Amino acid sequence: MSSNNPSQLLPSELIDRCIGSKIWVIMKGDKELVGTLRGFDVYVNMVLEDVTEYEITSEGRRITKLDQILLNGNNIAILVPGGSPPDE
Amino acid sequence: MSGAGEKGPATTKTPADFLKSIRGRPVVVKLNSGVDYRGILACLDGYMNIAMEQTEEYVNGQLKNKYGDAFIRGNNVLYISTSKRTLGEGA
Repeated sequence: MSSNNPSQLLPSELIDRCIGSKIWVIMKGDKELVGTLRGFDVYVNMVLEDVTEYEITSEGRRITKLDQILLNGNNIAILVPGGSPPDE
Repeated sequence: MSGAGEKGPATTKTPADFLKSIRGRPVVVKLNSGVDYRGILACLDGYMNIAMEQTEEYVNGQLKNKYGDAFIRGNNVLYISTSKRTLGEGA
């Protein structure tokens, strides 16, 4: 009925608009990733490119650079389009 | 010709595409526990169940174990990464 109402935007359509651009992924637990979104599926498993992984540990933050990853959607909490890094 | 067209910025690459593209390649698999497994990806499925060869187990970036063959159950997998990385930790 309201499928052609432009004010109705499915969450998955919002993510779809992020393909090709930077995205900031906040995981359950103390982990965050920033990378370029290449694609995703119904579980919001995501393919990310040129990824920076931030692990917050007791000794500080560990940063890992990754070329291309398939991220399991199971532990994803929040997606932020634009991908501002965790530090300002 | 191998790997051509993988970097096309206009093309989307779904998780299914990614799984198809990485078989036989060196990968890093990180589990939810934080443990890393590096090796050659033998095969995998849609659950992210993974069979690896020449597997090296890294705990806190330090090599702890080596396995000729390893099976990883998909529910433990945080991510699968192509390993073409410049960071040389745990050499």
